[in-house]
Amino acid sequence: MDASELAITARMARLSLTKEELEKLGVAVEQMLQHFSHMKEIDIQGLAPTTHALLRENRLREDAENGPALSDTLLGNAPEREERFIVIPNVL
Amino acid sequence: MDWHGVATHAGARERWKAFVASRQDELGSFLQFDPALGAVDSASSGPLAGVPFAVKDNIAVRGFRLTCGSRMLRDFVSPYSATAVERLQKAGGIVAGKANLDEFGMGSSTENSALMVTRNPWDPGRVPGGSSGGPAAAVAAGLAAFGLGSDTGGSVRQPAAFCGIYGLKPTWGAVSRFGLVAYASSLEVIGVMAKTVDMTEKAFAVMRGEDPRDQSSLAWQPAPLRKGKLSIGVPRECADVPMHADVRKTFEKTRRTLKELGHEVREVSFPTLDHVVSSYYVIATAEASANLARFDGVRYGHRAAHADTPEAMTIASRTEGLGPEVKLRILLGTYVLRSGFQDEYYLRAQKIRTAIRMDFQKAFEGVDLVLMPVYPVPPFQRGSADADPFMQKLADIFTCAANLAGLPALSFPAAVEAALPIGMQFLAPAFGEDLLFSICRQLEKGFPSPDAPGFPAGWK
Repeated sequence: MDASELAITARMARLSLTKEELEKLGVAVEQMLQHFSHMKEIDIQGLAPTTHALLRENRLREDAENGPALSDTLLGNAPEREERFIVIPNVL
Repeated sequence: MDWHGVATHAGARERWKAFVASRQDELGSFLQFDPALGAVDSASSGPLAGVPFAVKDNIAVRGFRLTCGSRMLRDFVSPYSATAVERLQKAGGIVAGKANLDEFGMGSSTENSALMVTRNPWDPGRVPGGSSGGPAAAVAAGLAAFGLGSDTGGSVRQPAAFCGIYGLKPTWGAVSRFGLVAYASSLEVIGVMAKTVDMTEKAFAVMRGEDPRDQSSLAWQPAPLRKGKLSIGVPRECADVPMHADVRKTFEKTRRTLKELGHEVREVSFPTLDHVVSSYYVIATAEASANLARFDGVRYGHRAAHADTPEAMTIASRTEGLGPEVKLRILLGTYVLRSGFQDEYYLRAQKIRTAIRMDFQKAFEGVDLVLMPVYPVPPFQRGSADADPFMQKLADIFTCAANLAGLPALSFPAAVEAALPIGMQFLAPAFGEDLLFSICRQLEKGFPSPDAPGFPAGWK
C-alpha cells in the first residue's frame, strides 16, 4: 500500500499520524497485507461466508424496565459536562 | 491449595494481601488491587465462597476502573459488572482486582499495555504471554485462585501456557460477553485460567449459560461425555509449522503419554491450517475497526485538550489515546473493509473461515479431540528480542483456529524445559468442554501444573 492510500485509510479511521508513524505503521501494514495475499492460493469456490460460527436466531424479550438506572454513573465518566449535558466543541 | 475463604477470613486475608503486595512490584500483574471493593457485590456463601479471582481489565466490574490497558480509558470507572463476573460473585467469589493486558486485548506479550509492565513469574526477563498476561501471571504466582481472561485468537490459552497453568477458551457463546469490551465480537469469549482442572471447571460451571443481555449467548447444552478409550487427532500439517525444539519435543511427549493412557492417537488432515492466521487477522482487524470506532472522546474516555470542531476532537482524542498496535489493527481493519478491497480480503477471509470449520467438522467425524501445541515457541524475552510483533502474529497459528470455528479448547501445562513451562491444547466439538476437562484431568495426575519460582505462597 503506498503512502497516500495509507493516509486515506487513516483519515477514514479518524487517526492523525505523524510522518514517522506513517512510515513505521506503513511497514507493518504492508507486511500483513503481503501475508494476506496468500489467501488467493486457496480454492473457496462455492463456499458461503461465515460471519459467526454458532449463531442462533434473534430473541425477543418483554419491553420492560431492566436492571438499575445507570445514567448518573455513565454521565460521571463524561470528559466535560454541564449538569446533565455533555459539552463538545461548537458544531456550527 | 484451598482458596475457599481466603478473601473473607480475616487472618488468611491479611496474609494473602501481604503476599500479593510483596510480589506486585516485581510482577506487575494487577492494574488495580482492591479486594475490599471486590467483596461488595459478593454473596457470603456458595461454591466459590471467599475465593479471590483476578479479572482481565477489559471485563467490567462495578466500581473498578475498566482501562483495557489503554490511555484512552485510563480513568474510566465501570457502572456495572459483566454477567460472568456477577455470576461468580453470586457464587461467593471475590474480585481481587483488575489485571493487566495488551491494550484492548491486542497482542501476545502484555507489552502492548500502555499502563504497566507485567513479567513472567518463571523468569522476569520474559513476557507472561498475552493478551491476558496479567491474570495468568497472578494465578501462576499464587496471587489469585483463578483469572478471567478473554480469548479472541488465543489470549487465554497462550498466556496460560507461558505461565504453566490451565487456560480454557469456551465454546463461542457459552459464556455471556455482556460487560466484555468488544474487540472482535464474532471470535471472542470470556475464559478461565487456573492452577488445576478442578478450579477451571468450577469457575466455568458458574459463568456459563444464556444471558438475556447478550443476544449471542447460548444455553449450556453439553455434548454427551465419552468415557474410556478416546481417539485423538493430530493435524499432520502441524509438522510443517516451524517450531522450537522444546515445543516439538513436548508435543511428541504428550502423544506418547496419551498412548500410554490407552488412547488412540492418529493423524488427521487440516489443510487450511496454513491460512488460519490470514483469515483470523482480516476478520479480527475488520471487527476491531468497527468496534473501536466508539472511542471518539465525546461521552467517555480520553478527550484531547484542544480542538475547534467535534471531528477534530475525535481525531485528536483517538490519536493521543490509542497505542501503536491498536492503531495498526484499526488501519488494517479499515483497509480490508474499504469499498473495492472488501471482496479480496474480508469476504475471502470469511469464506476461508467456512473452509476451516469444514476441516474441523470432517476431523471430528473420526476423532473425539484434536491435539495441538499452543504456541510454536516457549515464553519469549521482553522487548521482542527473539520474537518481533509480526512473528508473534504468525505464531497465533495453533490458537486462532478454535476462535474462527467457535470451538472450545483447553491449554494445559505439558512440560518444563530449560526452566520454562510449555503448554499443549486440546480442541473439542462445540459444547465439548466436559471432555476437555476429563482428558486434562487424566494428564494432570501425571503432570500437575508446575509451581513457578516463589509460588509456595508465604501466606499459606
